[in-house]
Amino acid sequence: MLFTLGFFTLVLIGIKCYTMLKFVLTEVVIMTRGDKILIVFVLIVSILVYICFGAYGLYKDKTYVVIEVDGEIYEKISLGQNGPKIKIDVPVISGKNVIEVDRYRVRMVHADCPDNDCVRQGWISCPGQIIVCLPNRVVIKIIASKNLPDEPDAVSF
Amino acid sequence: MTKHHKMAFLSLLVTFAIALHIIENMLPVLLPVPGAKLGLANIISLLAISLFGLKEGMIINVLRCIMGALLSGSMSSLIYSLFGAVTSTLVMSFFYKYYKGTFSLVGISIIGGISHNLAQITIASLILSTYSLYLYLPFLMVIGLLTGLLTGFTALYARNNIMRIRFKTDD
Repeated sequence: MLFTLGFFTLVLIGIKCYTMLKFVLTEVVIMTRGDKILIVFVLIVSILVYICFGAYGLYKDKTYVVIEVDGEIYEKISLGQNGPKIKIDVPVISGKNVIEVDRYRVRMVHADCPDNDCVRQGWISCPGQIIVCLPNRVVIKIIASKNLPDEPDAVSF
Repeated sequence: MTKHHKMAFLSLLVTFAIALHIIENMLPVLLPVPGAKLGLANIISLLAISLFGLKEGMIINVLRCIMGALLSGSMSSLIYSLFGAVTSTLVMSFFYKYYKGTFSLVGISIIGGISHNLAQITIASLILSTYSLYLYLPFLMVIGLLTGLLTGFTALYARNNIMRIRFKTDD
């Protein structure tokens, strides 16, 4: 009983909405042919401009890996599909840590510390991820720098 | 319409434009694109252009920019809004004068919104001396299209009702 009542109410609301939409589209929205052509033209041009800018790679994020030892930046390497494939030896208090960079991801291969928690974390690749080797005071973090400018908050339009 | 009627009417339009400008500054910014805004004051400049002409529209827009900047307390943004307003008024009055049959007020409003955004990007990248602001161009064009539709329909119905006003001329 309740179900059929609800169903009929929904049908009535649907019919009302349809008639209102039809009224709006035929009586209220009055546009000339030039207006419609202009709208389509603007949409096509903006999509074309977006594709052109995207083809030059202007909208892509760039990611960097930053290696810090004792709070100071030891090395900064840019990552990506064309990134380097190297192993870096970092001298620390109790020997050395070995960090491996594989194009777009980073991991700690070896650490001269008793617990080796940092080695067990494995690969990191996303901006914001971080590997910390607390006994040796080594921090590996991935940061992103967008090509788009930051909000020009000093200037309001 | 006598000279005094016209003067009173223009000052009313300036008042409406300033009120809309200030209300628009109060609205929160929804999109993370600099320069994206509703452009409510464009309704009044469209009305002025279609009822009177280029000169009156320009007067209203320039006065609106100066008064709006003074009242909302952001003098640093005056040059952006002034430049955008002057450019969009020129472009809209040109299209209204020569392509009145092709475009209705809606199309002219879309053209005005997009030219306003273009002018603001140009002056901002000249002042900040970075051309990376042009990366926002496609987003701003789509936003200008949508807000232009909105303000265009509003201006269309407002004008159709204002045209019915009969001014007493027996003085």
